[in-house]
Amino acid sequence: MALTDFRPDAMRCTRCSYCKWIPFDLVKSARFSAGCPSIEAGVFHAYSAGGRLVTMLSLMDGRSEVTGQVVDIGFRCQLCGNCDVACKLCRYDMEPLAALRELRAHLVESGRVPDSYRPIIERTRAALAGRGPKTPADRNLWAAGLGLVDPEKEACDVVFYAGCKYSGEESLRETVRTQVRLLQLAGLTVGLFENGCCGGLADKMGYRAEAGQAGSRMLKQWQAAGIKTVVTPCADCRHTFTRVYPTFEGARDGIPQVLHTVECVAQLVRDEKLELTLPVAKTVTYHDPCNLGRQGEPYEPWAGVEKKIYGQAVVYDPPRPRYNGAKGVYGPPRDLLAAIPGLELVEMERSREAAWCCGAGGACREAFPEYSAATAAERLEEAAATGAEALATACSRCELNFAEGVAAAQDGAPGAAAAAAGLEVLDVLELVALSAGLQKEA
Amino acid sequence: MNDIIDGLAALVGRDNVAADPASLEEYAADESFVPRLAPWAVVRPGSAEEVQRVVAWANETATPLVPVSSGRPHFHGDTVPSVPGAVIVDLRRLDKVLRVDRRNRMAVIEPGVTYPQLRAALAEHGMRLTMPLLPRANKSVVASLLERQPTLIPRYNFHLPEPLRSCGVVWGNGDVMFTGEAGAGPLSLEAQWQGGLVQADPKGPGQTDFFRLLTGAQGTFGVVTWAAVRCELVPAAHDYLFAAADELDELVDFVYRLDRIRLGDEVFLVNDAYLARLLVARGEDVDADALPAWTLVLGLAGREHFAAERVAVQKRDAEALAAEHGVTLQGDVPGTTAAAVGALVGACCDEPWKLAAGGACTDVFFVTTLQEAPAFVEIAHIVADAHDYPIDDIGVYIQPQHQGVTHHVELSLPYDPADADDMRALSDELAFNLMATGAYFSRPYGSWARPVYNRDAASRDALRRVKAIFDPAGIMNPGKLCFGAPRVPGRAAAPAAASVPVGKEA
Amino acid sequence: MSPSYAKPTTPAETAASSPQIGDDAYRALEDIVGAANVSRDGAVLDTYAFQWLAELVRPDQSHYMPRPAAVVLPGSTEEVQAIVRLANKYGLKVKPHGTGWYHWSGPIKDTDATLQLDMRRMDRIIEIDDQNMYAVVEPYVIAAQLQAELLPLGLNLNIPGVGCSSSIVASACAYHGAGPDTYFMGGNAENLLGMEWVTPEGEIVRTGSLGSGDGWFCSEGPGPSVRAICRGTLGSRGGLGVYTKCAVKLAPYLGQTEWEVHGTVPAYRLPVHENLRVYTLAVPDWDAWAEIYYKIYDNEIGYIFHRQFNLAGADLAPAFWLMYNDADKILNDVPDLVADPEIQKLTEEMRISFQLILQGRSKDDIELQDKILSAILEEVGGWKVERFCEQDMAEFTNLYLQRLGHKHINFVWAGGYIGSWMQFGTPDWVKGYVPTAIAGLERDASGGKLVQCGGDAMMGSGSGIPLGGATGLEQFVSYDPDDYESTVAGIRHMEDAVKDAASIKYPPGKEFIYLQIGWSDEQIWKALANSKQPQVFRYQTQIKAAFDPNDTGDRMYPTLPLEYKPGG
Repeated sequence: MALTDFRPDAMRCTRCSYCKWIPFDLVKSARFSAGCPSIEAGVFHAYSAGGRLVTMLSLMDGRSEVTGQVVDIGFRCQLCGNCDVACKLCRYDMEPLAALRELRAHLVESGRVPDSYRPIIERTRAALAGRGPKTPADRNLWAAGLGLVDPEKEACDVVFYAGCKYSGEESLRETVRTQVRLLQLAGLTVGLFENGCCGGLADKMGYRAEAGQAGSRMLKQWQAAGIKTVVTPCADCRHTFTRVYPTFEGARDGIPQVLHTVECVAQLVRDEKLELTLPVAKTVTYHDPCNLGRQGEPYEPWAGVEKKIYGQAVVYDPPRPRYNGAKGVYGPPRDLLAAIPGLELVEMERSREAAWCCGAGGACREAFPEYSAATAAERLEEAAATGAEALATACSRCELNFAEGVAAAQDGAPGAAAAAAGLEVLDVLELVALSAGLQKEA
Repeated sequence: MNDIIDGLAALVGRDNVAADPASLEEYAADESFVPRLAPWAVVRPGSAEEVQRVVAWANETATPLVPVSSGRPHFHGDTVPSVPGAVIVDLRRLDKVLRVDRRNRMAVIEPGVTYPQLRAALAEHGMRLTMPLLPRANKSVVASLLERQPTLIPRYNFHLPEPLRSCGVVWGNGDVMFTGEAGAGPLSLEAQWQGGLVQADPKGPGQTDFFRLLTGAQGTFGVVTWAAVRCELVPAAHDYLFAAADELDELVDFVYRLDRIRLGDEVFLVNDAYLARLLVARGEDVDADALPAWTLVLGLAGREHFAAERVAVQKRDAEALAAEHGVTLQGDVPGTTAAAVGALVGACCDEPWKLAAGGACTDVFFVTTLQEAPAFVEIAHIVADAHDYPIDDIGVYIQPQHQGVTHHVELSLPYDPADADDMRALSDELAFNLMATGAYFSRPYGSWARPVYNRDAASRDALRRVKAIFDPAGIMNPGKLCFGAPRVPGRAAAPAAASVPVGKEA
Repeated sequence: MSPSYAKPTTPAETAASSPQIGDDAYRALEDIVGAANVSRDGAVLDTYAFQWLAELVRPDQSHYMPRPAAVVLPGSTEEVQAIVRLANKYGLKVKPHGTGWYHWSGPIKDTDATLQLDMRRMDRIIEIDDQNMYAVVEPYVIAAQLQAELLPLGLNLNIPGVGCSSSIVASACAYHGAGPDTYFMGGNAENLLGMEWVTPEGEIVRTGSLGSGDGWFCSEGPGPSVRAICRGTLGSRGGLGVYTKCAVKLAPYLGQTEWEVHGTVPAYRLPVHENLRVYTLAVPDWDAWAEIYYKIYDNEIGYIFHRQFNLAGADLAPAFWLMYNDADKILNDVPDLVADPEIQKLTEEMRISFQLILQGRSKDDIELQDKILSAILEEVGGWKVERFCEQDMAEFTNLYLQRLGHKHINFVWAGGYIGSWMQFGTPDWVKGYVPTAIAGLERDASGGKLVQCGGDAMMGSGSGIPLGGATGLEQFVSYDPDDYESTVAGIRHMEDAVKDAASIKYPPGKEFIYLQIGWSDEQIWKALANSKQPQVFRYQTQIKAAFDPNDTGDRMYPTLPLEYKPGG
């Protein structure tokens, strides 16, 4: 792909600014109407999807060059996809999110990246080359004692893929182990087959080659091991497997069924393999992770051409599937929370396809920590405004960002979401585990 | 014959110029406290072209002009010259209803058209114009609208100048222009009508609301030679409900709600003193002691389809709403009759009814938000009391405007002309107190102008700059609002008075 | 993909051909607003130069208006003043915009060094006075935000035709302000109350009651209204100072105070409250169209009144809207729907249709309004379009018109949209240009360079002035800005529309305003001098001279030199 592939998008951008807001029909207050963290922080129009399209056009047209400001524009964005949903409210021919990703890849190829990116990608490259500090065995230390089987040696119902954050972060240790134990409580034999990063972070950063290497390796390993179903608690990983891997050459047929853990557990509850009987008396609000929600739709890569009907109306041949957040994974986590006796679910104003990003995505947690934290603080304010005691979600990076945001609020840090100081940050499956009677580990 | 009379006579004909003392005296003073100052001539143009010629002449001769469209008595001081050497431009000869268009509900009238005249002309087409409360019969419709006199139906009042739409104007510099959508069309009403244009939109043309330079302007920007007005349909069914209260506060929330949901046509509040005078002016029998301290008048009208049912539904809705606010709506008013009060709507008075009680009357009026009104009435009581003016004589009229966002509050104080000096002091003190406590004097007549424009110096400066464009010689009613004497000095001495009455050979 | 038709250039050439400001001036701007809120980075500047409609008026059909010399984001009225004073000092233009959705939001002339003021940091709702029914806002408060705060209070606001993504201040003070709500709620011109204006010299004028320190509630006076020189039919579009706050009158809303919006993106729905009715109505011919408008005016029913859905083109609109309401369908599916016999019937049924929402105070009132509407329909031979009055489409219409948050659909076919015609007048008068407007679009689209949706792609308010009396019909002409020939066809259409209107002795329409953006000063002056009453613009020249002696405002506030004579 190239920048010029998105020239039509840029030329057909009308500068309507819908990309800056949640879908207007869903606006419930002035306070929580914005949809794009990047423009809220970056203020210039260039920090919106429409502005980035024009930035791309300006570069393509030779009118401007890549400056430090352009680099900042290109990378200070969580790729959360709100812009994509909002633009597609009214348009069938625009792919703003794909364009943003292309801009990023273009800047990477030009060697123009934020300074904070360099150590991150060096670590990724080292890990891919087998030079990383962690061996595959290191990655899987979190699962010690859980009795996860080796799918190459034993049959299992699902293969659990924790992802880098769940496998590596101490603060998430209990959460990830609870997730596995919940699957086991439902009677599933759970396999563990995790040799490295899914490549998602590299992909989000714009390093397509590195993401491709990681993905190809993963697919080969899965195929070799005959893996049919992968369950992951990480929304980012799920996104990478279901939205990024299919774009790799020859990858399509080799991708197993991929489910997020909440999807799997929700099915187990529907199948009555898990019973949620113990009450959990909490008021909880649920945060839709971008990569599970609006970007968690079933995905088929498309190749085709633009064609015109009625003279100039833009359509595609073959018809291009539309990804506008309509079919994201919104139901299963909510079904689970609704099934817990005594738990009251209250929705934030911006939810489902209109959810405000946690701030961690698009490598912003790594590359722009203050910006990432400010984005999280905004979401925490929104969560606190519901009156909920707890904020539940289904993504490692969301949980990390929110937990740190609450801690900052408790410390009275400047810019922190003071109203959220008392909020508990939880994984959805922690609440499910409580209701299912899963005892805490010693 | 002196220059002024000769000059004007050449423009409009000798018969239409007056300079005899009696004629001049008619315009030298009015019912307000502005200083007496006689004009030096009265000119009565009979067409827009003649108006233009007069204005051009006034520019050439640096003669101040004071446009007048209504008959006497006048009340606000805006028609009394503020500088010597002024010529009254009496527009009452421009008295044609130029067009009535039922389909588009528009009428085009000249400034001399009065309310009774227009009412009759519109009635033939099943229409009427939303009106002020009991104007005098010789009141010019155009003048009333230009001065933003409040009208009785708040739900039609989408902005304060309603129902005024496009106008034809001779600016103070002599230019002729049309305002509003008429300003984007040919400079001929006939041509516009032939082209299917109806002068309905008052805005513009271009980036300027030219008509807003004429509203509230006391004739300081130009002379309006015709105005288009939006008409309403005569109701096929019309009923009235009333609410009585001892305190104004009891009615405030209910009136807010009525305005908010646009229930009813006429909505206005009067106190007993004001209502009594209105009714007496109409020759009604009134037991003034039995009148409520405060009366809310609510007109319910039905037009076109299901007119009677519209009234019935509004009545039910009004009664339900009143109950929610602890207000009782009645079909009658103690001390008088529903018919008598209802008949005030759309009526005019041949006599200047405000003068009937004492022989003279001073009105202090402003706009505000309704919840402030009771406090302003209280200020009136305090100031009146301090001047030994009987509080019970203060008439109060509150007219919701702009669909309930603005309210015209009018304090009407009749008095014996012998007490003029005291009343002037009272009136000024009252006005200045009200200004200081948040009453907005949007129509700053007479002595109100200086403090108003001192408070809002930025607007004053802006208006002066704009005035210098449209009336560079400063001949249009100088001394009014924030505009001083003409730039070029006027005549040094008064001309010799005409030795014979106008119209006769010397 | 169409080949790029952009003229080749380099960053250096682009920078050299764009007006600059000096380092001193730039540093002063940093001092005023902080370095983070000002930029002269080329790409950043281009994101302000890039505008919809630019490609129709700029040399070589460039998609860029002139670049600003710098982009500045003021955070307060005081910062705005300081910026304006700086512009006076350094001979710069000042060009504020709210959300910036129109090609006149940006700089207009390549020779002007312009400070683009992006007002997005001034985004506070300052006050909502529930009882007195007004709200006070800063320039970046958009209609959607304010409406969301008003609904729980039983209040609403007039949202202009461009939709709820627009700046209330820009609409009320600096542009037009009419839309589907205007008939009942008033246009933003009528609804404008006090406002705060930073003049082109950097002074502050507060209008109406605000200037007297009495609050925001009244826009008139004292005496004549200073607001008279701030906006007329249109406002100054950024060409005469900066509006930093304004108050607007609100309207009653008697529907549900909490909106339970449901449905699948993009076609969200709002249940129709028992106090409301949501209809698509149709009439057999254009005579009946005019009749029904007059009868609606005279019968005084109607809360939201608009011919909205026809923007997709009468031949395609029903298929389009049904496609839009099916989350599994895309534009590729439209031809099949168009060919469907049931939809063909529907297309004919609603060929001359419009939308009407009624609001009643009570059950009795709304039922009576329904009766009145039925009587009107019978009189004119009109009908309710059943399919669009069914629950799903009624709920969609309800939310669509109330929130007006889908106005980017104007561009749905190909990414480019021109509004042509839209001359404003009585229904009888507007009816007069309909056949020519329809024939014109059919002709201009016949070569396939514009979207062929039938000749009637007209949309317009039931009345663009309150109470009724004046409407307009705007052709929605769709072109592909990425296709040079389509873009050129769009320009030809605008030129044709001007000629077509003249041929039937109508004044030019909206396209004329668009075209003028690309004209030279002389071309504009000639057009103004040839207008029916050119002194309007000479007066504006004098107003500008009085308030903008250093010419910091651009020609979006149109002026006509006093000494100008066409051809001389």
